[in-house]
Amino acid sequence: MGKSAELLQGTLDLLILRTLALQPLHGVGIADRLEQVTNGVFVVGPGSLFPALHRLADRGWISGEWGELQTGRRAKVYALTAAGRKRLTEEKRNWERVSLAVNQVLAEGL
Amino acid sequence: MNLRRLYQRLRDPRGTQADLEEEVRSYYDTLESRRVEEGLSPEEARRLTRAACGPPAHVIEEVRVSRPEAVVETAMQDVRYALRLLRRNAGFTAVAVLSLALGIGANTVIYSLMESILLRSLPVADPESLVVLNWQSRPPQNANKDWVHVVHGVQGMLWPGDRGTLVTGMFPYPAFELLHEQNGAFSTLFGYFDGRNRTLAYRGQAATAHTEFVTGEYFRGLEVSPAAGRLLDREDDRPGAAPVAVLSYAASQSRFGGPVDAVGQSVLVDNVPFTVVGVAPPEFFGVDPAAVPDLFLPMRTTLLVDGEQAARMYRDSNFYWIEMMGRLRPGVSMAQAQAELAPRFHQWVAATATTDGERANLPALVLNPGAAGLGSLRRQYSKPLYVLLAMVGLILAIACANIANLLLARAAARRREMAVRLSLGAGRWRVVRQLLTESVMLASLGGALGVLFAVWGVRALTFLFSNGRENFTLHAELNWKVLGMTAALSVLCGLLFGLAPALQSTRPNVMPELKNGRWGGPRRRALHVLVIAQIAMSFLLLVGAGLFVRTLQKLHAVQLGYARENILLFSMDARQAGHRDPEIATFYTDLRRQFERLPGVSSATLAQSSLINAGFMGPALKGPMKVGGVTLDGARVLSAGPRFHSTLQIPLLAGREIDERDLPNTTPVAVISERLARRYFGSENPLGRRITLPGEKRELEIVGVSANVRHGGLKNGETAMTVFVPISQVAPERVTYALRTSGDPLRHVRSVHELVREADSRVPVTNVVTQAAEIDRTISREVTFAKLCTGFALLALLMACVGLYGTMSYSIARQTGELGIRMALGAPRAVVVWMVLRQVLLLAAVGLAISVPAALIGSTVVRSFLFETSPHDPRTLLSAGAILAVAAIVAGLVPARRASRIDPLVALRHE
Repeated sequence: MGKSAELLQGTLDLLILRTLALQPLHGVGIADRLEQVTNGVFVVGPGSLFPALHRLADRGWISGEWGELQTGRRAKVYALTAAGRKRLTEEKRNWERVSLAVNQVLAEGL
Repeated sequence: MNLRRLYQRLRDPRGTQADLEEEVRSYYDTLESRRVEEGLSPEEARRLTRAACGPPAHVIEEVRVSRPEAVVETAMQDVRYALRLLRRNAGFTAVAVLSLALGIGANTVIYSLMESILLRSLPVADPESLVVLNWQSRPPQNANKDWVHVVHGVQGMLWPGDRGTLVTGMFPYPAFELLHEQNGAFSTLFGYFDGRNRTLAYRGQAATAHTEFVTGEYFRGLEVSPAAGRLLDREDDRPGAAPVAVLSYAASQSRFGGPVDAVGQSVLVDNVPFTVVGVAPPEFFGVDPAAVPDLFLPMRTTLLVDGEQAARMYRDSNFYWIEMMGRLRPGVSMAQAQAELAPRFHQWVAATATTDGERANLPALVLNPGAAGLGSLRRQYSKPLYVLLAMVGLILAIACANIANLLLARAAARRREMAVRLSLGAGRWRVVRQLLTESVMLASLGGALGVLFAVWGVRALTFLFSNGRENFTLHAELNWKVLGMTAALSVLCGLLFGLAPALQSTRPNVMPELKNGRWGGPRRRALHVLVIAQIAMSFLLLVGAGLFVRTLQKLHAVQLGYARENILLFSMDARQAGHRDPEIATFYTDLRRQFERLPGVSSATLAQSSLINAGFMGPALKGPMKVGGVTLDGARVLSAGPRFHSTLQIPLLAGREIDERDLPNTTPVAVISERLARRYFGSENPLGRRITLPGEKRELEIVGVSANVRHGGLKNGETAMTVFVPISQVAPERVTYALRTSGDPLRHVRSVHELVREADSRVPVTNVVTQAAEIDRTISREVTFAKLCTGFALLALLMACVGLYGTMSYSIARQTGELGIRMALGAPRAVVVWMVLRQVLLLAAVGLAISVPAALIGSTVVRSFLFETSPHDPRTLLSAGAILAVAAIVAGLVPARRASRIDPLVALRHE
């Protein structure tokens, strides 16, 4: 939770959308995947994850369905919607622009 | 935001919540089972998971507050909680809501009157560009009280302006023509003239209608569009044009069945035929918010209705009567318009002066804003309204103080609850917000109930202000502006009386509260300050009420010199219906005889007006009166019919009263009052002596001497020297009949109407009223103030007593231990009672000490409303103080007696 609190506003949203673009996942799955792909840089606690999931669902970018896991446990599985897919493309473009700009600033500072 | 989801959540909040809980639970379970698989015990897995992720409830709360509707949800929660608390403390809620409702209701009423009288614009297009033309000059009388002024005659009102000047809106007609013709400042300039009540006959039915004569550009200048037909224009206002009329919307409905039906109808106005060509829109009432004209007539038709008298008014450059308003051209300011018009008017008016005296004091043109119409209502009511506003403001302040007091006491009781909530981690702001929600809810309930009070109050107050006039309206209503004001006031009150208790009961150092149930000194001080403030404010209102009641007593004690009870008054004007001299005198006398024959009527008479209004009617005779070579100075003439003195029970001291022998062709006679007889005849017998009228080349033979009567109103009337002359000998116009009846005078109203209709259906009977009501009408403002203030003062007193009672009860509850010890040590009950009462009296004394100086200063503001009563009337101040002290003792006695019955054992155990 500690590190994720410092995430840029919207970054977590982008990461969740990106994660769900590969396959539908439930809450724990999303957190695991994020930790995995960022090599443990982002550890997302439920206090940040669930508000973000519900915020994205409210906007219609992802949708949750109750389903059964391999362990037989019931869990809500989230999948990207068509609107979410469009959004992800935009967000990605944005992010590339921003990170390019930031990288340039940092490079010049050297 | 996905609306479907929001709708789903709002429709099924429980389902949504359960869904979320299950989702979070499944998350935690997954993590825990993973740890169990790694070999941890279930308990250990659970503990570690929670340590890493925080409690699940926290996560659920995070999601909940992150939702957009969370703000509303929290507020709803607060409201529900507040409602539950308010319902549980029904007694407290009822007292609080009722006192607030009275306070807010009273404020709403006064504000709606102010809004209609002082703030509202005329209901016409772009009212801001309208200006009223006035002029001002020094008073027309010089040091010797001689009239030296270019204004030789007026028909309208003058009022005092700055630095002793007189101001008016009346102009001679030639001045209107001058300003109207060459004009760069105004796009239109129009004139109007109050035609007063005329007889409007339609299909043989006569009734009174208020008329307004307007120039051709009146409606165009005001930019009003008709509700039906067309409005008057320039073509209608030419000499010789066909006489047409425009009706007010209300008149078209009451008399013609609706605007459309009225158009094209023929009517008679004072017996002159007119055609109705149109109806004004419903909201339109002309340019004077005080007036409600039924009929708008072209200015030039005064020539038809009033004949030669009107023709003189058009020609005379020294007779002032027409009023004007102009609409500024776009981009022209009022100051520019004045700079352009004032010199032109000055040049013109200088030419109308004939002597150096007249030239030394010429009227100067002044423009005033016309957006709100003419200012007569504003001049008349602005001061009373501000006084009333101050009073209702005090009432509301007392109500707020009262509720703050009750809340403070209750906050003390709830301090443990607050302390528990705060220590369990509730944010202070969250708790304060919840407490404020409670007080604002309380205030809103009070405001809602207050609006109901206001609906009734506006009606009642309009009636009180109307002075009994028939077609009077203040156009006051509870519009959105007023209701918005009320809502704002309610919320403000809620925050005002809720904030201090809320902050106090959530002070951060909660520990002492949890340790013992006692509470410290500062809050008691706050209670005391509030009670003192209430006492001080109540005293102000009591003094106000006392002064107005005293004024009313003084007015009722005024000796009139004539009968007040069992007299029916009503008026009519046969001249307007077409009767002419000398037949009109016979018409009036015959009617008098018929009235006298009505069963239950012992005598009937008539006069030019009722005595109470005699000061305001025109003189019956013109020019000076002399006895020998001596001019009668300050004598008033009243034309009266047969049996005037016996009907009104004015004692005759010598000779006879006016009777049926006094006819137009018999010797002119007069009855004089005692004071006049004393002053001009001393000890000689005035009977048979003569009063000469050089102006009319007539002599009046004195045939009787009557007791003195008071002329004019109670307040500014005078016991003048009076000359009564027979009404048949002075060409009567409008007359007022007086019938002496046995029992209720109003029982005879129908017979009167029938008799007059039989005599001539064209003559409407107006202003039917009992003598007592006619007299009270002249002091209606004083009656209104006395009634309102007494009501306000009682209300304030009651609330202050409730506040005092609450405070004392609370303080005694706190002192139970101390009192118990004292009683255990043998203090007699009386000492305990005195201990409590001493506190009460101390509070009252401090309150009085503050408010006596305030009352002394404040009461001078209402000096002009008082009659023969000093604003510092010691009797009033003393009785107000005494009433307050008694009320305080009564309020303190109950808790004091309760204190004296404390059982020392119980009290000490309580400790």
